[in-house]
Amino acid sequence: MIQFEQVSKVYSGGQKALSEVTFHLQRGEMAFLTGHSGAGKSTLLKLITVIERANAGRVLINGHNIADLSSKDVPYLRRDIGMIFQNHHLLMEKSVFDNVALPLVIEGFSHGEIKKRVHAALDMVGLYGKERHHPIMLSGGEQQRVGIARAIVNKPPLLLADEPTGNLDPKLSMDILRLFETFHDSGTAVLIATHDLGLIARMKYRTLTLKQGHVLGGEELPSSRTRSFSV
Amino acid sequence: MSKKPQLVRSKLPLSGRVVMFFIRHMQHAMASMGELWRNPISSLMTMAVLGVSLSLPAALQVLVKNAEAITQSWNSAAEISLFIDDARSERTINSLISRVKVYAEVSEVHYINRDQALEEFQRLSGFGEAIAYLDTNPLPAVVTVTPTLKYSSPTGARELLKKLEREPEVSFGRLDIEWLERLQAVVRLLERTVFAIAVLLVLAVVLVIGNTIRLAIMNRRTEIEVMKLVGATEAFIQRPFLYTGIWFGIIGGVLAWMIINLLVLYLDGALTELLGLYGSQLQMQTLTFVELVQLVCLASFLGWLGSYLSVRQHLRAIEPS
Repeated sequence: MIQFEQVSKVYSGGQKALSEVTFHLQRGEMAFLTGHSGAGKSTLLKLITVIERANAGRVLINGHNIADLSSKDVPYLRRDIGMIFQNHHLLMEKSVFDNVALPLVIEGFSHGEIKKRVHAALDMVGLYGKERHHPIMLSGGEQQRVGIARAIVNKPPLLLADEPTGNLDPKLSMDILRLFETFHDSGTAVLIATHDLGLIARMKYRTLTLKQGHVLGGEELPSSRTRSFSV
Repeated sequence: MSKKPQLVRSKLPLSGRVVMFFIRHMQHAMASMGELWRNPISSLMTMAVLGVSLSLPAALQVLVKNAEAITQSWNSAAEISLFIDDARSERTINSLISRVKVYAEVSEVHYINRDQALEEFQRLSGFGEAIAYLDTNPLPAVVTVTPTLKYSSPTGARELLKKLEREPEVSFGRLDIEWLERLQAVVRLLERTVFAIAVLLVLAVVLVIGNTIRLAIMNRRTEIEVMKLVGATEAFIQRPFLYTGIWFGIIGGVLAWMIINLLVLYLDGALTELLGLYGSQLQMQTLTFVELVQLVCLASFLGWLGSYLSVRQHLRAIEPS
């Protein structure tokens, strides 16, 4: 699903963010990405979502070589990636329904289809019945769930989460992670960037640790929870 | 998986895509209208600026149109007066008239003999009393020649005059069109001025809309970032802004049309009075329906252009980070 081969990224200021990173996230696999702030987590996620491009090496997302993608193609690639952010990136002046519906509206689904899918997604994250609310009326955990519903509403084969539990208490954090597990169980590849090591320890998934731009522990765990699905 | 798989552009079937394409356009157009409706004060300000900016070139267009109508009605007044040698008899004059009548350049010939000329002079000049004391009639006989439309222009009429002056009976001819030439030069200058001002004002319209759209883009910066993150194409993101520009143009155009009509209404009385003094029966012209449609089409195009230029420049600059 995500394949990095000897990927390096140096920002224009000369700051070296990633050097020769190699790893492979299988189709349908769930993994954590961790490391101190400044270790290159954000840069790695930006390379996956083509917000930044690598200086050297190859990045393959869902089989597409990022280097071959024109900027025109980037939106279509992003439609295959559900993104979840620490600060939610919700549109505060729009209702929960409109927020979750956005990826479907962009893809041009009919109104009936959008309604059906948004309700299904909200049901899945436990926010059924709150379509008409505005994000500002919801708690932090609920807002995060709206963000998750938006990420999964068009059933992408890959979910990326950047510090999804950053602002939540341990109980809520666990709930969110359980939610990711259910998506993983239904065959979605999930990559969660977090520095919450306690959380990671409680779950048996592969952990990619970034340290000063290098990746440690990139090899797969023998754990049976690494599964391959075809989507 | 193959080495270079094609990106899936859409998960919908073609027919669904085509239908949704039009539905989306309609929705975007309506949503943009709704957006303007929700911020009536700032929208109205922008529209008023556009209306005034567009009304000026349109008003000048009306002015040129009216000036042309007036000069055209005076163009046919290009008349050549031929003063006949006093020694000529009525017979030779008659033969001159019949000769001139068959000129291809001439549409009408009118003869005023010496007595008629005196009578007319007495009636019109106000020197009637004084003229009665004269022993002999000092006035020559006059043949007035009206050229055909083709020879009514200053150069054509002048050519005809030269030809007529070669007739032996004619002592000299007069063509009173210098004022007409001057008027035409003034109208030409007016037209050019109007064109230059129109270009400047059209540019102003594009800039005003471009700036308004730029502010709208800045206001919705986070929304645009999120849309880009969840896979919206540039075309999708820019569409509502383009429709906003078009609405601005359309409403600005209609406002300009209303301003013109009020202006014409205001000026009509004064102009009719002025033209009445010159003995003209002309009615002041306003914009026709076709011109209204042209004005609105031009305005909506300018709205689209202004917003397109702005969108091109500013949407690209907004990237998620």
